[in-house]
Amino acid sequence: MQILAISPDSNEKSQELAERLRARYRFLTDHDLAVTRRYGLVHAGGGNKGQDVPRPTTIVIDRRGIVRWLARADNFQVRPDAADVARAVRDL
Amino acid sequence: MIRYWPAFLSVFLSLGAVAGYASLLRVPAIRNHPELYLGAFALATTIAAVASWRAARWPNLVALAISAVLLVLGGYFNFVLARVPAAAMALRVGEAAPDFTLPDATGAPITLASFRDRTPVVLVFYRGYW
Repeated sequence: MQILAISPDSNEKSQELAERLRARYRFLTDHDLAVTRRYGLVHAGGGNKGQDVPRPTTIVIDRRGIVRWLARADNFQVRPDAADVARAVRDL
Repeated sequence: MIRYWPAFLSVFLSLGAVAGYASLLRVPAIRNHPELYLGAFALATTIAAVASWRAARWPNLVALAISAVLLVLGGYFNFVLARVPAAAMALRVGEAAPDFTLPDATGAPITLASFRDRTPVVLVFYRGYW
């Protein structure tokens, strides 16, 4: 399984975060939200300075490139439980 | 001093809920249930309101002010600021994930389709840390 974490953050910040968490994550930078927009996941004006930000979303994609599970937040405090994501990947 | 125990209990509940939520953000059972801190603020406000009604002395009134302010701020954060408006989802389960290429932390381009036939991929869109 490969985890790709996508945010508009700059590369340095993402790098620091990955090292601090010692995570298997690969952090990708979607600086202008082009990919986030293509996925329909822009929360317009949702940032702390009124900027557009991604709406927190987790998507499980199988080996054929098909979306098999997704969790989209309607409250940004709430994240999918890691156990649910792991189960979705195991069930592929 | 002992007669002000409801005021102390109220302040303890209020500040305990703030400290508990902030320090346990990594725990899904805490993070995903903002109603826990809202419930603690509401209980603290109720206790302080009853105490203030029975004796309008400053410890009770201070406890009431602290808990009521936290309840209003917490409610505003949870029900207004943290809400992500409903939007049409372009993507559905069973559809192909749109391909993309984005730079990783070292600047190297990563293409989603390169994982095809190799391994499942979990995409995590997150707000970032600004």
